[in-house]
Amino acid sequence: MSTETPEPDITSRPRGRAARERMYQYLLLLCAALSILVTISIVALLARDAITFFTLVNPLDFFGGTEFLLSRDVYGLLPLLSGTLLVTVIAALIALPTGVAAAVYLSEYASDRMRSVLKPGLEVLAGIPTVVYGIFALVYVTPFLRTIGLPVNTFNILSPSIMVGIMIVPMVSSLSEDAMSAVPDSLRRAGYGMGATKFEVTTGVVLPAAASGIFSSFILALSRAIGETMIVVVAAGSQPRMLNLAEPLQNLWQGFQPMTAAMVQINSADSVSQLGFSSMFAIGLTLFAITFLLNLVSNRIAARYREEYE
Amino acid sequence: MTQNEMTSDDSTDPAAVGTTATPDPSGEPLVDQSIEVDGTDSSAQAGREQVIEARDLNVFYGDVQALQDITMSIPENQVTAMIGPSGCGKSTFLRSINRMNDLIDTARVDGELYFEGKNIYDDDVDPVALRRRIGMVFQHPNPFPKSIYDNVAYGLRIQDETENLDQKVETALKRAALWDEVEDQLDKSALDLSGGQQQRLCIARAIAVDPDVILMDEPASALDPIATSKIEDLIEELAEEFTVVIVTHNMQQAARISDKTAVFLTGGELVEFGDTQSIFENPEHQRVEDYITGKFG
Amino acid sequence: MATTEPDADWHGDDSSISQLRGRAFEATCLAATAFGLVSVLLLLLFVANDAFRPLSADSGWLLTYAVTVVVPLAALAVYYYRLDEPAGEVAYVTSGLPVVGVLLTGGFAVMFIELLSILEWFALVTSLVAAGGLIVAHGRLRPNAALERLVVLFGAPIVTVLGTPPAQFNWLVTDLAAALGVDFGLYHRVISLREVLLRLPYVPTNWLLLLGTLVAPLAVAGGVFVARRCDSRRAGFAVVGATLVGALVGLVTGPALGIGYGGWMLLVAFVALPVGVYVEGVVRRREGVRGLAFPVTAVLGVAVGSVVVDAAGLAGPDSWIDWGFLTSATSRTAADAGIYPAMVGSIMMIIVIVLATFPVGVGAAIYLEEYAPSEGPMGKFVTLVEINIGNLAGVPSVVYGLLGLALFIRIVQWPQGSIVVAGLAVGLLILPIVIISAQEAIRSVPDSFRQASYGMGATRWQTIRQVVLPEALPGILTGTILALGRAIGETAPLLMIGAAASVRLAPNGFFDVAGMMPRQIYSWSSELEPAFRHGVLAAGVITLLAVLLVMNATAIVIRNRYQRE
Repeated sequence: MSTETPEPDITSRPRGRAARERMYQYLLLLCAALSILVTISIVALLARDAITFFTLVNPLDFFGGTEFLLSRDVYGLLPLLSGTLLVTVIAALIALPTGVAAAVYLSEYASDRMRSVLKPGLEVLAGIPTVVYGIFALVYVTPFLRTIGLPVNTFNILSPSIMVGIMIVPMVSSLSEDAMSAVPDSLRRAGYGMGATKFEVTTGVVLPAAASGIFSSFILALSRAIGETMIVVVAAGSQPRMLNLAEPLQNLWQGFQPMTAAMVQINSADSVSQLGFSSMFAIGLTLFAITFLLNLVSNRIAARYREEYE
Repeated sequence: MTQNEMTSDDSTDPAAVGTTATPDPSGEPLVDQSIEVDGTDSSAQAGREQVIEARDLNVFYGDVQALQDITMSIPENQVTAMIGPSGCGKSTFLRSINRMNDLIDTARVDGELYFEGKNIYDDDVDPVALRRRIGMVFQHPNPFPKSIYDNVAYGLRIQDETENLDQKVETALKRAALWDEVEDQLDKSALDLSGGQQQRLCIARAIAVDPDVILMDEPASALDPIATSKIEDLIEELAEEFTVVIVTHNMQQAARISDKTAVFLTGGELVEFGDTQSIFENPEHQRVEDYITGKFG
Repeated sequence: MATTEPDADWHGDDSSISQLRGRAFEATCLAATAFGLVSVLLLLLFVANDAFRPLSADSGWLLTYAVTVVVPLAALAVYYYRLDEPAGEVAYVTSGLPVVGVLLTGGFAVMFIELLSILEWFALVTSLVAAGGLIVAHGRLRPNAALERLVVLFGAPIVTVLGTPPAQFNWLVTDLAAALGVDFGLYHRVISLREVLLRLPYVPTNWLLLLGTLVAPLAVAGGVFVARRCDSRRAGFAVVGATLVGALVGLVTGPALGIGYGGWMLLVAFVALPVGVYVEGVVRRREGVRGLAFPVTAVLGVAVGSVVVDAAGLAGPDSWIDWGFLTSATSRTAADAGIYPAMVGSIMMIIVIVLATFPVGVGAAIYLEEYAPSEGPMGKFVTLVEINIGNLAGVPSVVYGLLGLALFIRIVQWPQGSIVVAGLAVGLLILPIVIISAQEAIRSVPDSFRQASYGMGATRWQTIRQVVLPEALPGILTGTILALGRAIGETAPLLMIGAAASVRLAPNGFFDVAGMMPRQIYSWSSELEPAFRHGVLAAGVITLLAVLLVMNATAIVIRNRYQRE
């Protein structure tokens, strides 16, 4: 052993080194804490103008109003909500069954080679910019719907909703697949042991066992559809209107203006009143609250199912 | 060279008690003249300096108690083996010697553990400085994905001891009996070495910074028999310069290479501790005998 | 297969029915999986058809290239896929590297044309290196002086790159002085090393600056890489020498080819050097050498095809995507419209995003993975942060636009629609994605490395710096590139912060108002003229998707390399 150098004392804690360690720790903590700051500033800055708005407009008139007219300073949320609702429902009708079926195929049936092609392919769907989906809807899908005989307007709610649906399929399928893969093989074997076919095991054992995970993926996908902006901005038109409950099918052929699209329109309008400008923040805050809540619920459910099988 | 430091320490130093006898060059104590420190099971105090001394050490992981009232002392420049069935706490004890348990959020340590007379769980002890004097080799060879040279130099670099780096790296590799095999490929990735070579590289990495104690956590369990025997030879050589504490699940290995053996049994209790020879030939406790003869464990 | 051949006697009649049901179910699921893929693929084909208009070409032209390029390449691809997968990978990388290199070259060329002169680039690089040198030197000399280090960490860039704040911030100093009751007299701005360099009376010529600050460092990096790989210093020197000579040749050949020596040097540094280094490695390892046939065939095929086409006088397609589209500004007439200013805007926005999100995102990920306690009040805080990051990733992009509008435009008062505002708004949007992917990369570093490092007496920061980060870096890069891909296509935030709908001039600074590619595409989508709708718009979409494709392919290559080890 080297006897010439004195042994370092185990209690000697070089002050500089400790301070350096702490410095890096706090710098990094600052980075992590920034995300909280982002959330706080979103809430605070949206709330600031939203409060201005609500001092001038009765919240009941806003949330219960059936007319949205910038030019006359009439701000009723329901027409916008109708658009958002339609997009979400149509997209869900497409994406939820498709996504779950895709997840079943990927998790239970697909060979490794198929998986290696299909999974990245689905990821690509999620990676295409939404403005491109919007253009798909406007330039290609709407004319296509016309050629197959549907009486759609140039701007209609149907084709952007279909595109939103296709866009959120990967979200449903990948999260649902995670949930199905988390189902322990012992459950499947128990099913087979009782003489069940693969179909029976998949529908009778795997799907129910993964139900909460699948459900959480649904909620997340819905939240994505509610917040989707560019597709509807490009292809759904700028006509806020109430749902036509008497003739539900008529709704599909017409243009709507979901909440997100309304915000964009207010912001890019040539002349907009101060009140109109702050209405944008009121809508934004509502949108943020809805999606944040849905995400929170979805994460809760997902966390619970992960615990179940750990 | 640790003696002068010992005496300079405070009077509560328990390891200083009864440790003034001169070390025996043969490596085996002639007479068991130890003074019982705690009166329980330290029948194996040798005529050597005790480097590490545990007193009523308890370790908990959350609500689970992993070690129960461990009291033992580990002599300098000898190989001390710890054996026992899995889950008996022997690795936990090893990791509490250089405070690696600090890295586990839920771990909690009670009691005292003295290193050269200083309780390492005192508030003023810096675990980083401690680990620079108590090195560690792990169960699975874990060289960094860097070059062989950079692996050995790692400890020296983080301690800013970069003078004569080449020389120090070479010495460490020679002491770990690896130099001849890697002499002309120091720039190659350490991951290209075989498992046994990787483990010797990890030993070289640990001794490059010249620690006092080397802790080894089942260092040969992931290796084939030939690599294992090389590691065992190496451990015996290392004991001339370092205090080696080794955890093993392999009783023959403990019998072959260690001077002292501690037997841990389920529940984290130290059942017996003494000279290896007497433990294996003539254990005091029936449970230890059962374990050694394979009736249990 | 779980359902083994059932015994009909024993099982009874419904065995065939239950099998049929299972088959139908499987087929339905497969159809569902393919539904989105196929429909988007079809749509893409339509867009590509509109953008390239292949049918406007002479059929002879199409036939010629089909024979010289498409058929041989398709045959090779089938061969690689079936028989020689390593060669397929080599083919993939050797065809992809030049594309990435050309894109980088384009990016730098745009930067030199629009953003800064070569002299300014030289000054910037030199002063950045000086700043880094100062920080490293301080770390070496006084490793344990933490407060000093903090000062150096933030002070060095000021001294070398930024200088003291410009006159607009005078109030900061004067107010401070007034508050302290001190009178500094007139505020004199201290200029940085960068500005000193810019004012040097004599500076080397541009080509020398470019050679020294861009080509040479890359050449040295390549040389070191090769020297390590071959265990031979001579090979390394050969790489450096060849690169420098190749770049110098450009002084003569570049202008002759009409791309200037600058373009030539960039091509040498970004295309020839990496391709050469990669090919050398392939040949040395003798693994998948046959893959090299792919790019060779492609080049030869295009060469032969163009000779034939020229000789026969066959006309090519009247494609909307052409050199003119990529290099000119938008216009009222569809035939003249181009995407160049928007592309510059996107590139500059990406620079802002990288600078703003990469350090913070990786820093946050390091904290959450390496430092964060799981218990106690701090543990609760950390859980809150993690949940919050997960939720932020799901906040609609339009809300981030609103945040950018409220924060950067209305409060900070940066110009509406400027590149900084766009970059920061979109940067905040991808920050959670960067954090989450960096966390995954850091988490995938085996714990045994950390144990070994701590066991050697390394501190936490030393372990992170020297063991964890180098291991996690490829994963972090992959995640960041994918996140940047998301960023480059984001449109809603750009609309909210008022990015310009159509800009005729490319922006020259980060506070300039600019349009970005998706913003430009959105403007085109509201033109009613069919030439826009089915021409310019499609060309814009294809350009945007091509950039995304290259970014994603790069990320995938990095990920594959990294996973293999």
